Amino acid sequence: MKIDPRTRIILVFLISSAAVVIKELIPLLFLLLLTLILCRMFSVHLSGSIKRLRKLLYFFIILALIQSIFTPGEETLIAAGGLKILTTEGLEAGISIIIRMSVIILSALIIASAPAMDVVYGLIAMKLPYEIAFMVLLSIKFLPLFREEFADSIIAVQLAGADLVKIPLRQKLSLYTYVLTPSVIKALNRARLISLSMEARGFRIYPDRTSYCKLSMSRMDYVTITAASAAVLLIISYNFSIIG
Amino acid sequence: MSFYTINSLTFSYAGTDKLFQNISFDIEANQHIGLVGPNGCGKTTLVKLMLGILRPQGGEIYLEGNNIKDISLSDVGKKVGYVFQNPDKQLFCPTVLEQMRFSFTYGDCGSAEAINDNTDYYLKAFDLMQYKSLSPMKLSRGEKQRLALASVLSRDVRFLILDEPSTGLDILRKKQLENCLMELKQEGKGYMIISHEAKFLDRYVDRLLKLHAEGVEYA
Repeated sequence: MKIDPRTRIILVFLISSAAVVIKELIPLLFLLLLTLILCRMFSVHLSGSIKRLRKLLYFFIILALIQSIFTPGEETLIAAGGLKILTTEGLEAGISIIIRMSVIILSALIIASAPAMDVVYGLIAMKLPYEIAFMVLLSIKFLPLFREEFADSIIAVQLAGADLVKIPLRQKLSLYTYVLTPSVIKALNRARLISLSMEARGFRIYPDRTSYCKLSMSRMDYVTITAASAAVLLIISYNFSIIG
Repeated sequence: MSFYTINSLTFSYAGTDKLFQNISFDIEANQHIGLVGPNGCGKTTLVKLMLGILRPQGGEIYLEGNNIKDISLSDVGKKVGYVFQNPDKQLFCPTVLEQMRFSFTYGDCGSAEAINDNTDYYLKAFDLMQYKSLSPMKLSRGEKQRLALASVLSRDVRFLILDEPSTGLDILRKKQLENCLMELKQEGKGYMIISHEAKFLDRYVDRLLKLHAEGVEYA
């Protein structure tokens, strides 16, 4: 099924905006379900992506814990002396933040699973200046570049004899500081080289660009956008009906 | 027991045809081997498998009798020195001097006296002394290559794998590299060099290992 890249961009905008607006747990779960259905529809390789995001799980858990502890509530679940540590409302807020982050990340995968140039064409077709559309492309490329550079440096560190499991925490921290800065610089350098290469091919010489790729929305695109928008609106109105 | 034993190794990258299938060979610790083959035949991939950076789909690799998958990268690194094809991927310290000392500071790769002696010796040998307080990222391609070589050679490893070590080196620096290879030979240490330079390999390796889609063969 060939879907126009604009459809993906609109859907991601809709879902991520809804994830920010919706505050209640049940509507958030519905939104997560809708996102999963859309991911399936756009053939997002979920298991592979989740595996790669596994390391973020600890970050989510810590975030949820902080949110749980600092959200005030009536019904206490855990207390130390007179101090409320965890309340039902806090627990709900913690779970909500995990679901909200999952929705945002999964919806981003709908764009990430499309070829990067398609996304650029989509943004240009949505009247975004082409310079900005290509900046988006470079920023999309930056994270995997950074990840690759960092992974390469970690391999180099280990092959130089440093055992990341056995060295003391203090040394480990200084080592990661060692590796982080050059990784960022190397990734920035590579992004700079891409932009230089683009400019060497005449990028930005003229205010407009002619493209061989002409996008056109099909009936399937309109149906998908309408159905997803209706579902999102329903979920948002359900959220507000709970709040009262 | 051979230093390296490669047994029925099969590997392919995700979504591509098999790069190599059922290849087997042995390497002794004091052997000097040249690994050759056309572009894209998997020479660097084979080395990454031998270091444990990549995992094979089939077969086993043994380093001193231990399966490579059971050895940590740092333990492999203490026995085998690897000079990356792209020196940018190997250099990560804030200064040239720290890069040279890294393995001694964090990897326990030699005695305390060895730190200064080896560092100074190899910085001089590769004309890098004047850059010791500079960031490796400010060096030219050839200087980075020399630093990558110097930082690996300064460590007391049993075997070296050099991935296109002469790339980016001028005639004088290539001579310095050749001197180091001669020293390694005299010390009884083995190495494997990936290179497309037939003359260079002719002089410094004892055997050529040819890698192609059907397998490997000693030439």
